[in-house]
Amino acid sequence: MERRPAEHFDRDLSAALVRGRSVSVPGLADRTVSAVRADRLRRTVIRWGSGLSAAAACLVAVLVLGDPSEESLIVEARSVVAAEESAQFQELLSLADDLALLKPVIERPALVDDLAGGGS
Amino acid sequence: MADEEEDRRLMALVADGDDDALRLLVHRHHGRLVGYLRSEVGSQATAEELAMEVFIRLHRAAGRWRPDAKLSTYLIHIARNLVLNEWRRRSRKPTSALESAPEPGDSAPESGRRVLELEEAFARAVAQLPEEQRTAILLLVQQEMPYEEIATAMGCPVSSVKTWIHRARCRLKELMSDFYGPET
Repeated sequence: MERRPAEHFDRDLSAALVRGRSVSVPGLADRTVSAVRADRLRRTVIRWGSGLSAAAACLVAVLVLGDPSEESLIVEARSVVAAEESAQFQELLSLADDLALLKPVIERPALVDDLAGGGS
Repeated sequence: MADEEEDRRLMALVADGDDDALRLLVHRHHGRLVGYLRSEVGSQATAEELAMEVFIRLHRAAGRWRPDAKLSTYLIHIARNLVLNEWRRRSRKPTSALESAPEPGDSAPESGRRVLELEEAFARAVAQLPEEQRTAILLLVQQEMPYEEIATAMGCPVSSVKTWIHRARCRLKELMSDFYGPET
């Protein structure tokens, strides 16, 4: 191939590149708008999804935190048991009180009788 | 200047969700955007896909967009980031920028064949340049952007752009040395 003058280099470079400067694509605008609408819908769904997830997480948190904790359950159980026990003790104690009213039955020893008889 | 004002007006409408304004914006800017992208990635189909992605991203950012730079510069900035991502994804450079270049036919006149051959050689040589040099020379020579806008689009100082363009010219002259006689 015949060599070109070096002075033509910049002009040739420009001519070669400028040829592809603008490429019109029929229908690209419509395709783009459709893609944008799809993207908008997808992001709306994602936004709603994340909102619902956050709401569900809040609900679970409220339910979990609103429930009595294990410790408080133990304390409650202990108080119930204590109340139950105290009732039983009360019964026992009241029985003891009843018993206390009874006079003790003590057989008098024979020696005491002899002494009492001898003295009289 | 009127073009820029029209772009701003359309962008405000796009931010309000006006799809017709977006359609108009695509009409106004897609030609040069696809031209630039095709020169970068060497494929018409990929260039169209990337151009659509550019406009989708533009639509997402429409509410936050501030007209500090020309919209066309902003579009090139987005496009370049997508090109870089595309190359990272492929882990290779474009094989050729000549996919859609017409083949020199037997029926073409001799002078026409020579022109096509030369253009193909230039496109191959540009495709061999390092990424920054190729982008800078494409934006300067093909898109006819001033240095300042190229720097904005590439997110670098003007001095870097000038350096890349100088190196690109030198490298292209080396690659095209078979086609040109010695400099006088």
